[in-house]
Amino acid sequence: MRIRRPVLWLLTALIVAASAALWRPGAGYARQDRNATLAAASVSHPAGTDALGRDRLVRVAVAFLLSLAGAVAASALTTAAAAGVGTLAAFGRASMGWIAMLICDVFLALPWMFLLMMVRSALPLTTSPANSAAITFLVLAALGWPASARAVYRGAQQLRTSDWMLHARSTGLGRAGVVRHVIPNLFPLLVPQFLISIPAFVMAEANLGALGLGVGEPLPSWGGMLFELNNSPMLMQTHWVYFPVILLVLVLLLLEGVAAEA
Amino acid sequence: MNTGFQVLRWLGRTLAIILLVILGSTILVRFAPGYLSDAREMDSRYAAEARSELAAEAAHSHSIPQMLAEEVGGWIRGNFGNSRQFDVPVAELIEPRLAVSGGLLLRGIGLAWLAALSAALISSAGRNPSLLWRTPATVLLAIPTAALATFCLLANSGGPVLVMALLLAARDFKFLDHALRKAWLEPHILQARAQGIGTFRLLVVHIGPALIPQLGALASLSIVTALSALVPVEVLFNVPGLGELAWNAALNRDLPVLLAVMVLMALAVSCSGIAAPGLADWERA
Amino acid sequence: MNLPRRILMAVAALSPILSATLSTAQAAPRLPGQLVWTIGYDPRTFDPAKVDDEESETVRYLTAGVLLRLNRLTQKVEPELAQDWTLSADGKTLTFTLRPGLEFSDGSRLTARDVVWSLRRVLLLGKEAPVSEEFVSPAGVTVDAPNEKTVVVHLPKRVIAIDKVFDEIAIEPADRPSEARVTSGPFFLSGYRRSQYVVLQRNPHYFARDAAGKNLPYASGIRLDILESMEQQIRLLLRGDYDLIDSIPPDYFELLRKRDPGMVSDLGPSLNTEQMWFNQAPSSPLPAWEKAWFQSRAFRVAVSQAIHRSDLARIAYLGHATPAYSFISPANALWYNRSLTAPHTDVSAAKAALAAAGFHLNGSVLLDAAGHPVKFSILTNTGNAAREKMATLIQQDLAALGMQVTVVTLDFPALIERLMQTQDYEACLLGLENVDPEPNAMMNIWLSSSPNHQWNPSEKTPATPWEAEIDRLVHQQAASSVYAERKKAIDRVQQIVADEEPFIYLVYPNALVAVSPKLQGVQPAVLEPHLTWNVEQLRWQGAR
Repeated sequence: MRIRRPVLWLLTALIVAASAALWRPGAGYARQDRNATLAAASVSHPAGTDALGRDRLVRVAVAFLLSLAGAVAASALTTAAAAGVGTLAAFGRASMGWIAMLICDVFLALPWMFLLMMVRSALPLTTSPANSAAITFLVLAALGWPASARAVYRGAQQLRTSDWMLHARSTGLGRAGVVRHVIPNLFPLLVPQFLISIPAFVMAEANLGALGLGVGEPLPSWGGMLFELNNSPMLMQTHWVYFPVILLVLVLLLLEGVAAEA
Repeated sequence: MNTGFQVLRWLGRTLAIILLVILGSTILVRFAPGYLSDAREMDSRYAAEARSELAAEAAHSHSIPQMLAEEVGGWIRGNFGNSRQFDVPVAELIEPRLAVSGGLLLRGIGLAWLAALSAALISSAGRNPSLLWRTPATVLLAIPTAALATFCLLANSGGPVLVMALLLAARDFKFLDHALRKAWLEPHILQARAQGIGTFRLLVVHIGPALIPQLGALASLSIVTALSALVPVEVLFNVPGLGELAWNAALNRDLPVLLAVMVLMALAVSCSGIAAPGLADWERA
Repeated sequence: MNLPRRILMAVAALSPILSATLSTAQAAPRLPGQLVWTIGYDPRTFDPAKVDDEESETVRYLTAGVLLRLNRLTQKVEPELAQDWTLSADGKTLTFTLRPGLEFSDGSRLTARDVVWSLRRVLLLGKEAPVSEEFVSPAGVTVDAPNEKTVVVHLPKRVIAIDKVFDEIAIEPADRPSEARVTSGPFFLSGYRRSQYVVLQRNPHYFARDAAGKNLPYASGIRLDILESMEQQIRLLLRGDYDLIDSIPPDYFELLRKRDPGMVSDLGPSLNTEQMWFNQAPSSPLPAWEKAWFQSRAFRVAVSQAIHRSDLARIAYLGHATPAYSFISPANALWYNRSLTAPHTDVSAAKAALAAAGFHLNGSVLLDAAGHPVKFSILTNTGNAAREKMATLIQQDLAALGMQVTVVTLDFPALIERLMQTQDYEACLLGLENVDPEPNAMMNIWLSSSPNHQWNPSEKTPATPWEAEIDRLVHQQAASSVYAERKKAIDRVQQIVADEEPFIYLVYPNALVAVSPKLQGVQPAVLEPHLTWNVEQLRWQGAR
């Protein structure tokens, strides 16, 4: 598995650029310039301002960094959980595998928005937006593993019945040794899962906003900005609202380029 | 392998899934905030009436076993219980909507496969996955469903079938592109190409049949994606289908309707899943 | 290459299918002379006596024949099926004289017997008919018909504005309740498809005629599509498939105004209010020091003074709202208090008041006398963009005082649960819809024993002297029949509310409507229904 150097550099450059946008003097994602709402691009506001007079560039930068961090962390957790469950299910008894996959299917069908509502209502109302965003991503991660677990399970099953694994086990390889060899061999399966999950988590967070489970004001969220696009007055106001979408497309293409297939 | 045994196993598995989904959903919906509240409580004209209705609801959703018994009773009777919102049998609400959603799904999936197959055939002919083909697919995956629907409404063209098809085509394209690329590089295909056998003949006679097992997985992927896109598409385009019914039921905590729709969707996913492993077994037999 | 061309040819061959999928959803074509607009959800019932939600009320308004009608433009009660009526001096006896020659939509005669039957049915249904509660003690009301044209209603106690109540009671054929299929109003129900549409047809036997003697209503029927999406409504209004939108959010209003300025109309402040309040219920699960803040008048007044209401109107409502300081809006000409004194925006006064009440600043954080940082949340509902913007603007305004505010949006059921049952909230920002300009209709909110007494529901005894004073004034105005006396009492209630700020009023949202240029006869009124209150006079251009 080769990692394409230029693509990785581009991704890093994007993150650095976003961070740089935050270091501008007077930049604050919550600062409302009430006399300059929905202003056009200018020197003080390179991407204009939103409906409450807040600088759009800073808000998109903060949203990008926060949501990316949250989505990457959630994705990593989910993939790790899926790897664990899938491997255990494949290498355990057949009945265990059957039950594990049954649980996965049930998980996928349940209406989890109600669980998220319950979690939200259990949190104190004065939880800061950053904390509640972290908890939201955590819960999404806890709910996201069944989707990948199935694919990992099938991959691990194939590994189990592959020639070299049979050979290794017949010559006395213990369970610990099996795990040590299986996980690295699953990487070609796990890494794409990890990369696909990142934008999926960003979008999931967007959909939660519709239920009041998104990131609280004044903290901007990438998902929240994408969610705003379903409002046609917004779309007609200014072309800068497409900025988050373009950014997402860019990041998606870059992520795909990060791991090229053999 | 004994096909009868396979079918029985699948039936048992599906039944287990359905029962667990009913149990899990009932618990989630009943204990999520807002089950026993009604917006009319805030309007002093209707508040008293709303409160007495809620008291009645609280009385018969007192415990989970009681709720489950009522639910299962409704299923045995065949009307799937009574809708909390409309006070009519759930079956009456679902029947007219089945055809609408089914039609939308079939047309969306059909169009998506057409588009994805055409694009994948052309794209896989090139040496490397070209940016020209990858970018539209990525763009479609990046734009949220709701935004896509709003674009269509604004532009006054394109409806629910188009949006559904675009979303599915983006996912299916990647899958098909990958599968076709692998198929082109199979040893016997390379041999055939080197010997000058025409592309069209190769596709129809050799690659096509080899792809059929993959189609099971493709169908499964398409149906799962289509069902998850069904709710936003139907709600935004105001299509009177199962997705819109489920969304309103969720917002109004209408448990019987929600359970009925979810079980139907779980069945659909289960049926689509049967194709993939079933075919794999058939190949090994 | 051969292959791509073949594929492209195949795709081109299938393009008819493709083009079919490109057409967006259309509304069904309208019948000749038919008016079309939308309602947000399925009416829960078509039985006019059992109406208990807004859309059922809409259908009732369009189909029911009533004795008296409140003219939404003049805000005065007018005779409808009754050609005149009298109220006795003690306010306990109403006598109605019916018009001659009245008929139902199926041609049968409408006499006093039908009126008596309909009134008795509503009274006997009790809890099932919310309108019966407007009689205060419906069980004691008697209805008689001394002859075919006269109906006498006797009340056990005087009821304020009793004439308006008859605007909501439909006269149906005796012993034959038909769920709006046989009515004495301008239209009757002729079709219903769940989640799709409600169809009403013209009542050819409706009594009203226009100035030229022509039978009303002009329209041959009405189709009400069940559609919530504003995007769709606007698109279809521009296409001419819909005739009107009764209430538009400000951002969509501006969008429509840019496309066609002649179509939209800002009717000025509506009767509705948007307000914020703090949870003062002693039984709430909040910590004691937070309850102390919210129960402190100085705290509430300081918060009110720190909020820039003009910014809220300008930014959150795009200018389509008016700053508010009381529960009676200027649109309510009869009851608006012109001489109200209320704390206006004054941040330094707010800071001084907080300092005097024992709060002090530690850097940029406000602490109370015991050293607790002033941190609380404002709860509001999802789906209302203007409210969410207001909450964020207020968050910034209060940060100037050193208060740390989190904005929490919840979906409605979860929000209501907190407000009405668990009392687990700190501050809430919601709007109140006032359909009736009569202040007595709002009194459920001001009586301390009421469950709708939002900041401290269902008090056994008034918790504070000023709440006791409000209770006294409410009962006083309900017992009086002299306008000047009642106005004085209501003015005093408004002043107490402005002084104590249990509700911090923010804005009166303007009534925003859109009408297709093809619809004639529209006279927009600030009372609801803004555009269809005179539905029998509306007609679609080109229809004769």
